[in-house]
Amino acid sequence: MAKNRGQLSELREGKELPEITKTVTQRNINLYAEASRDFNPVHIDEEFAKKTTLGGTIAHGMLILAYVSEMMTAAFGKMWLTGGRLDVRFKAPARPGETITVSGKITKLEKNNGQTTINCAVLCSNGKGEQVITGEGILTTPEL
Amino acid sequence: MSETYSQLEAGYEFPPGSYMLDVSRVSLFLAAVEDKSYPYLENRLIPPMAVAALAMATLSNTISLPPGSIHVSQELSFVAAVSLDDSLTSYAKISRAQKRGKLHLISVDLNVRNQNQQTVLTGKTSFILPQPDGEQ
Repeated sequence: MAKNRGQLSELREGKELPEITKTVTQRNINLYAEASRDFNPVHIDEEFAKKTTLGGTIAHGMLILAYVSEMMTAAFGKMWLTGGRLDVRFKAPARPGETITVSGKITKLEKNNGQTTINCAVLCSNGKGEQVITGEGILTTPEL
Repeated sequence: MSETYSQLEAGYEFPPGSYMLDVSRVSLFLAAVEDKSYPYLENRLIPPMAVAALAMATLSNTISLPPGSIHVSQELSFVAAVSLDDSLTSYAKISRAQKRGKLHLISVDLNVRNQNQQTVLTGKTSFILPQPDGEQ
């Protein structure tokens, strides 16, 4: 999409970001628990989680948020790693077996004081069309 | 020892957490999230969300989130690239602690710095926590 600064001029408000689709598995959740050292049983212990109001294990919210960061990296490349910002709300849990679609759209593109700021509305939704994460991804990068 | 979350107040600073992310942990993270958007390891870079995940671990080492806790919102700013050789330290401070009826709302400011004391990531995380048993 715009993986280097030279391609920023191709961007415009309303442009959609490349969509990502992921199926959440218990294996992914277990791996994430190890990687993040977050072993809360609601994520990894099915028997425990069944007894809670959740009714079963759920993915870490940060695991699903990583999908959003992946979409932003796919769209903006290395610029995202040093100038990216996420501001999101977790609306619903993601469960093993669910397919999560991550989408985004440029809502504002501004050049000011030698910097380009790109605001994107971001959304993760499940197969039922329910919102899992909503919010904004913002890239600030020096203008060419 | 874990703190009792309901006793934490605004201004409380969590014990800083120091860590390095090596190839095996980054590989584990990339396998968990199945991220192929960027050749992180080839460039000896760490995905910023892997840094964020371990910043959150700084909290869970201290605070026990009870069942029924809800991760409500998350802000993250990726300020500087993090390399495999970097030594990171996470700092976390409660910026808001409110009791609303039977629920506690806690917001925590996060800051991760590298070995040069350069901030590489900042953020804010908010949780809603249920009232502990026996507390009025």
